[in-house]
Amino acid sequence: MYKIRDDEPKYAFLPDTAAPERNRYGEKIDLAAQDNALLGESLNINNDAGVGENPNRYKQHGFYFNADNCISCHACESACSEKNDLPPYLAYRSVGYVEGGTFPNYTRLNISMACNHCDDPVCLKGCPTRAYTKYAEYGAVLQDPDICFGCGYCTWVCPYNAPQLDTEKGHVHKCNMCVDRLEVGLKPACASACLAGALDFGVTETTPENREQLKTQIPGFPTPEISHPNIRFQQTKTLPKEMSRTDSIDVKYRLNDNKDAYVPVINENRANTKKSWNLKKLLSSHENAHIAFTLSAQTVMGAFLLLLCSQYLGVEALSVLTTTAKWPLLIVTFILMSFGLLKLNLHLGRPHRFYRGFNNLRYSPVSREIAGVSMFFAGLSGYGFFSLFENSFATFMMNASAVVAVLGSVIGTYYMYKLYRIPARPYWDHWQTASSFIGTTLSLGGILVVTVGVISNGVSASAALIEITSLIVIAGLAIELIGLVTHARDMKSAQHEGALSHFEQTTKYGKSYWLRNIALLASISVVSAIYLLGATHEAFLALGVLSLALIMTAALIGRALFYVLVIPTTMPGAFFWRNKGFEEHARETGLADMPQTGVVPDSH
Amino acid sequence: MLFGRKQKNPIKIADKGVVDWKYTTCGYCSTGCSIEVGLDEKGEAVATRGVASADVNRGKLCLKGIYEHELFKLEGRGETPLIRDKFYEPFQKTDWDTALDKTADEIKRIQTTYGRDAFAIVSTGQIMTEEFYTLGKLARGVIGTNNYDGNTTLCMSSAVSGYKRSFGSDGPPGCYEDFEHTECLLAIGSNLPEQHPIIFWRLKQALEKRKFPVIVVDPRVTMMAQMADIHLPVTPGTDLALLNSLAYVILEEGLADKEYIEAHTNNDEEFYKVIEQYDPVTASKICGIDEDTIRNVARTYAKAGAAMTIWTMGINQSTHGSDGVCGINNLNLITGNIGKPGGTSLSITGQCNAMGTREWSSCSGLPGYRTLEKEEDRETIANFWGVDKEFFPKKRGLFQTDIFPAIETGQIKGLWIIATNPMTSMSNTDRIRKTFEKLDFLVVQDAYQDCESNQYANVYFPAGVWAEKEGCFTNTERRVNLIRNVIKPYADSKPDLWIFNQMAKRFEQGQKVKFPETSSGVFDELRELSKGRMLDYSGMTYDKIEAQRGIQWPCKDGDEKGLQRLYTDGKFQYPDGKAKLMPLPFIDNNERPDDEYPFWMNSGRVVEHFHTRTRTGKVGNINKFSPTPYMEMNPDAAKALGIAHGQYARLTSRRGDAVVMVQLTQRVSPNMVFIPFHFHDCVNRLSLGLLDPHSRQPAFKQCAVKIELANDQQSAALRNKEARGF
Repeated sequence: MYKIRDDEPKYAFLPDTAAPERNRYGEKIDLAAQDNALLGESLNINNDAGVGENPNRYKQHGFYFNADNCISCHACESACSEKNDLPPYLAYRSVGYVEGGTFPNYTRLNISMACNHCDDPVCLKGCPTRAYTKYAEYGAVLQDPDICFGCGYCTWVCPYNAPQLDTEKGHVHKCNMCVDRLEVGLKPACASACLAGALDFGVTETTPENREQLKTQIPGFPTPEISHPNIRFQQTKTLPKEMSRTDSIDVKYRLNDNKDAYVPVINENRANTKKSWNLKKLLSSHENAHIAFTLSAQTVMGAFLLLLCSQYLGVEALSVLTTTAKWPLLIVTFILMSFGLLKLNLHLGRPHRFYRGFNNLRYSPVSREIAGVSMFFAGLSGYGFFSLFENSFATFMMNASAVVAVLGSVIGTYYMYKLYRIPARPYWDHWQTASSFIGTTLSLGGILVVTVGVISNGVSASAALIEITSLIVIAGLAIELIGLVTHARDMKSAQHEGALSHFEQTTKYGKSYWLRNIALLASISVVSAIYLLGATHEAFLALGVLSLALIMTAALIGRALFYVLVIPTTMPGAFFWRNKGFEEHARETGLADMPQTGVVPDSH
Repeated sequence: MLFGRKQKNPIKIADKGVVDWKYTTCGYCSTGCSIEVGLDEKGEAVATRGVASADVNRGKLCLKGIYEHELFKLEGRGETPLIRDKFYEPFQKTDWDTALDKTADEIKRIQTTYGRDAFAIVSTGQIMTEEFYTLGKLARGVIGTNNYDGNTTLCMSSAVSGYKRSFGSDGPPGCYEDFEHTECLLAIGSNLPEQHPIIFWRLKQALEKRKFPVIVVDPRVTMMAQMADIHLPVTPGTDLALLNSLAYVILEEGLADKEYIEAHTNNDEEFYKVIEQYDPVTASKICGIDEDTIRNVARTYAKAGAAMTIWTMGINQSTHGSDGVCGINNLNLITGNIGKPGGTSLSITGQCNAMGTREWSSCSGLPGYRTLEKEEDRETIANFWGVDKEFFPKKRGLFQTDIFPAIETGQIKGLWIIATNPMTSMSNTDRIRKTFEKLDFLVVQDAYQDCESNQYANVYFPAGVWAEKEGCFTNTERRVNLIRNVIKPYADSKPDLWIFNQMAKRFEQGQKVKFPETSSGVFDELRELSKGRMLDYSGMTYDKIEAQRGIQWPCKDGDEKGLQRLYTDGKFQYPDGKAKLMPLPFIDNNERPDDEYPFWMNSGRVVEHFHTRTRTGKVGNINKFSPTPYMEMNPDAAKALGIAHGQYARLTSRRGDAVVMVQLTQRVSPNMVFIPFHFHDCVNRLSLGLLDPHSRQPAFKQCAVKIELANDQQSAALRNKEARGF
């Protein structure tokens, strides 16, 4: 057990304050009352079989932050990093700030934030490997790096930047609530280290000594509705109506009309309105693996489903897909799908643990997506394999594989979409993500099919195929277009980070954005022309190649924009620490080569 | 388990395997926190924690202290002595005998050729009191140079001078516990949250128990200013006018403590004559604080049952720093706020042992607050050390800030630098660089061989750092605290005490004078020399200091504890026992912004760094909070110049230029910028550092600059990066 000093100061001990039965969200604060089997178990901290004697061991605990008092002295962060022996480039707890007003009536509001051990831990639910556990002991949400395979999905869904993807080690780790200290009745290291009477800790919904408020929101803190975080605030001093971030995210928080919360809006004073290409940044994003995976999976699913339409629905126009073009198409789709899966796997911090991706089918859309896509791939492979043989068993298996593939593609696509519906990533949290994925499935699937068909059979023999796939491609592009138009309109008027994403889409990436838009519109026109003129027209080949180029361009830029533009709903950073802009700058200039800069030189 | 796995792995939490905790005192600032260093089985320092029973910090530490155990193994530690003929040649590794012999020979050669004072010594506020005393004995009693001073001239010299002028002696009269008793706190140019976070915590604790008004004078809206009840954003460099005006209102409105003035001060005639000129209307035009606010502050302060003032570099580092300190003392004398609980003039000191050097280093005189100017003091020390009293000069020599110009003009040919880094810390970097080039011989003694001043050294002595040694520090509230030796010095580095003793042996006179080998042996000399004096150490022993987690002086022989406050009886150190009310006419000799250089440049400390970053710049977990220099600039001013947040700007002053990253914030006024002073080749390329006439402390914080967007952002970034050795 953790050693208490003989002269341990009083402020370091947890108070034994009476808590209400339920918290404001209706959850019981006593977490083990209804499930006595959980009582009296050891947490096995570093294999110590001891059981702590903290009288509130089974009550939900949480942090308390008095925002009036924080001075940004970094003592909490440092005490945390020191205790957990963390490298400089990451931290379980960080202090950022927002500021407002005009000299000398200026206010800086510092916010110290770690994990909030939420009632509804989105990290736990999102994690495909089940590396997370919400314990009955203290309600702590703990993550086990030895299980994690480093996909980083928890870092996407958490609004508080609590899980830390350690790119050097290839896994995530995070705040452990100092449960070792809690077991002996001590507050976590951070709260014990606070030098300003700002950070405190105790049973959730209890007010520390000398404090009066139990707020759930302060400017810069994401809406508690996402995960019901176990943090309460005091913030009594009147603040300016607008509080700006100092990190590179051009967001400020403005007091809403009800005057009860600050909402994120674009900081137009700082935002750069210049239209640029930014192609290098766009195409070398850390999410390239996802671009490769989603595009290839959707293409392959579209193409293979068309093949199955030919076989099982007997669509005459598609018949080449089950005859002359069958094997080329099966081989191409197999290779493309393998490539996508390989890219996805290799982006993991610990690729050899890929099999753990199925561990959390109960909660995680990622697990379900992986299961769906794997089913699809198994179905696709089985279909190909069993169509090599001609006996009733093989036919049965082929048909069964086709069913598996269809089911897999439906499940895979649905959860591929669902996993991006992240409340903390408002740019993605829109039905347009679905329309884009379905649109891509149709348009790229169609394009692949027609390309393989034409190459295998020549143009004239593919006329019917060209005609029907043109319609499918047009439908796919139209779905994409409708989604994009609605998405742009919704983001533009949004009161969340999506508005800034849209702003950056039209400025920082403005030229690339318009190239995509033009390519999309042009591709609809060109494919329509192909449909109207028919495959026999002398311009077909030229139009075909043009449409291929336009569709690929639109798809690639579009998907790259999707990833690069997302601005998470998360904690404001400081000027250097937790500032994405400075991290990039430090990498570019080589400052990051000095480890004490606290920036990993290159995260890939 | 509520959600998640049923089969749980054991929870892994980092365990550094500490088997032993050793008692020390923090080696950064002057707060004087008691720290324990945790050693693992291999005897490596792996953790630090605040000592819970220590009255100063009560178990708390700031981020620098939290990571202090990493100091021992930082990059750039000196492993062996280094030697070279010319600074432009590469260093050669050498052994201690060679390095010490060479240095002793050079000192003798320079002194024989050019006179004793042609060899100068610039010391520090970083080493232990026993080491300071030994260095003083070596410098004054053996080498015999009068050009011997410390880098404390850059930080506390004005406080020393002001205390001496007002009270007849140095020595901060108050203590941290005064926060618990005061009814009004005035903080002038002191940003506790950034500079002394633990003292801030003590203040905050007092405020949680009992609210009292906090008034902060600072040109910036610091966190301290933000938490104040009244913030006075004073015009840089004009606080003396404000202080005089506060005194004016107090006297005019009959709020002064006439009995106290009568009984314990003199010089009031001249004082009143000057104060009369600082009515709030006149003063408001100078200091930028309106008449009503001046009156309100004066009344609040004077009417409080007990009121105290704290200050740091905002006062000290200005052209009238010493006067500013006297102004504060005046305020407290006329309101009877000296020597009573909650009533004091408390300078918040900078370095861990700035007080130790003030007390014992003989930099400004002789040990134990003795002066060269008093024959009696010269005689006492000469007899005690066993040297001829005529060997001592009868007047102190040059201050640190005058030593460098004397090198520039050739009066000083050799220099010994101990644990300070003037290449980064002094104003006008380029001038200092040229100054260094003129030396015949430079020896640098530092724990870190990559400290920039070493670029010009002929000999480098690798010194032990902090708890690689044993000895005492004195903190801001006169608390003597102990650093136990925790681990042995890195590689072949040696304790500063050992280096001084070895050097002494190489001089004829040094062989006659007794140089105790152990720090406790030296401490016995301090006890003896302080007996019966204001700074009485005679009741202290190392074990007693450790047991009490520091003892405040005076602690007389036989006393169990030290005294919390000085001058409680109203008796001051002037021969007549009275304090002096100082007449302080304000002369504005600052380099003020003008059409050509339209911005005030202000500089100061940030919490994550200490001095020239030779330590904190290498501890990743604290350096990351500001790994590269930046400038706080008002967004409205920046907009007019086309400068955006996060870009690099080029600043130019009449001295030189600097490139910094811009942080736009309304924390600063539209005509002022703020740059942290810690970074090499940055702020001090711009600063003027006009010297205070009394304390010779430079006015780092006030000069004029012009600002432009760096026209090539990439080369600006490169220039900045190349200036960061660490």
